[in-house]
Amino acid sequence: MTLVAGLRAASFGIPFQPVAGVHGSELARVNHWQTLRDPYGSGTDVYVIPAIRPDIAVIHAAEIDELGNARIYGSPFWDHPLTRAAKRVLVTAEKLVPTDRLREQPELTLVPGFMVEAFAVVPGGGWPGSMHPDYEIDYPAVERYMADAPGVLEQHLSEAPEVAGLAAKARS
Amino acid sequence: MKWTPFSFVVINLARQIRAGEITFSGVNSTLPMIACLLAKRAYDFDFTYINVAGGVEPQPVTVPLSSSDPAIVHGSAAIFANQDFYDLCARGGLDLVFLGCAQIDAEGRTNVSAIGSWKNPRVRLPGGGGAAVMLPTAKRVVTWRADHSTRALVDKLDFVTASGHMTALVTPLAVFTREPQEGSRFRLEHFNPSTSINQITAQTGFRFEHSQAQPAPPPTEFEIVALHDLDRDGSFAATVAG
Repeated sequence: MTLVAGLRAASFGIPFQPVAGVHGSELARVNHWQTLRDPYGSGTDVYVIPAIRPDIAVIHAAEIDELGNARIYGSPFWDHPLTRAAKRVLVTAEKLVPTDRLREQPELTLVPGFMVEAFAVVPGGGWPGSMHPDYEIDYPAVERYMADAPGVLEQHLSEAPEVAGLAAKARS
Repeated sequence: MKWTPFSFVVINLARQIRAGEITFSGVNSTLPMIACLLAKRAYDFDFTYINVAGGVEPQPVTVPLSSSDPAIVHGSAAIFANQDFYDLCARGGLDLVFLGCAQIDAEGRTNVSAIGSWKNPRVRLPGGGGAAVMLPTAKRVVTWRADHSTRALVDKLDFVTASGHMTALVTPLAVFTREPQEGSRFRLEHFNPSTSINQITAQTGFRFEHSQAQPAPPPTEFEIVALHDLDRDGSFAATVAG
């Protein structure tokens, strides 16, 4: 929430963002967050979080057109503030669709193409996470990856759909 | 009906939910997620359930292992995503929020940041996930532990991540409650009849008042049926050893 306040400050083009709460948290001390007194006289002290401007935001979308317009189904989680706060936006997407399809329901486009520097079409790119509504979380893959043992990372990477797909293609 | 560690935690979490309220469950909160779904089935009142996956009054077909799985958006007529539910909380619109803790003290402050010192921790924890904003701005916050130990229920937190309107702590052995006001301390309200106040005292790192403590009212038929329906193969029950 304080992280998002920082992202919001960046997307609003201001140096800091007021945020509710935080009182009584030691996070304020270790992060050197300051309070400001309400200048309009309520007497309330509000924490202000410094702007966080990521160099690059990378998000995964359901569909994208050749102009970079990216559509998401279901919850966008933090994709909106992330893409607005970052200096550059990169997108991976499940599939390429014609722009006319996006024109039918423009409100489903979360990131307009003019904001997108580059994109790649990566079917299964959300793995081992979910991509609503195409596929769910691959819990067994997450559990295998959690093991603290030699070779687990390499095995995990080799199972990624884009890598496994390429390997299958090379064999055929 | 006898309690199990799992049924004690989930049903006593569900009993914190009140009619007409807006209730929220977040990430890494599988037990409260099940409690909210149980309350929908078992109790004869309406409340609004929203969750971190963006679901509003979802009608999930399956209960996912992760409480942020889009499976608990299924059947929602609206998407109320992260910015929306945090802002709702910040402006005082969330009545009940379930927030997790690694450590908790007698005044309901939580640590989800670090075990050991902040600068040189023995364990770096995942972080608050909004707790520092939600604990003081939600009207009521309820937390839980799948274990009841002096490791988690402590006299002094290693780090104070969040402080505010905590009103209940549920473990496999006990239900502690406090007022959502500064200085109010947890008191033992209900205990699992399979344990004793002495045993709870021995396994709790903070001192607590227990003169009014009662055995928890046994689970009702409705609660047991709903819980069984949500965990048919017992895989969630297996996560709470007690």
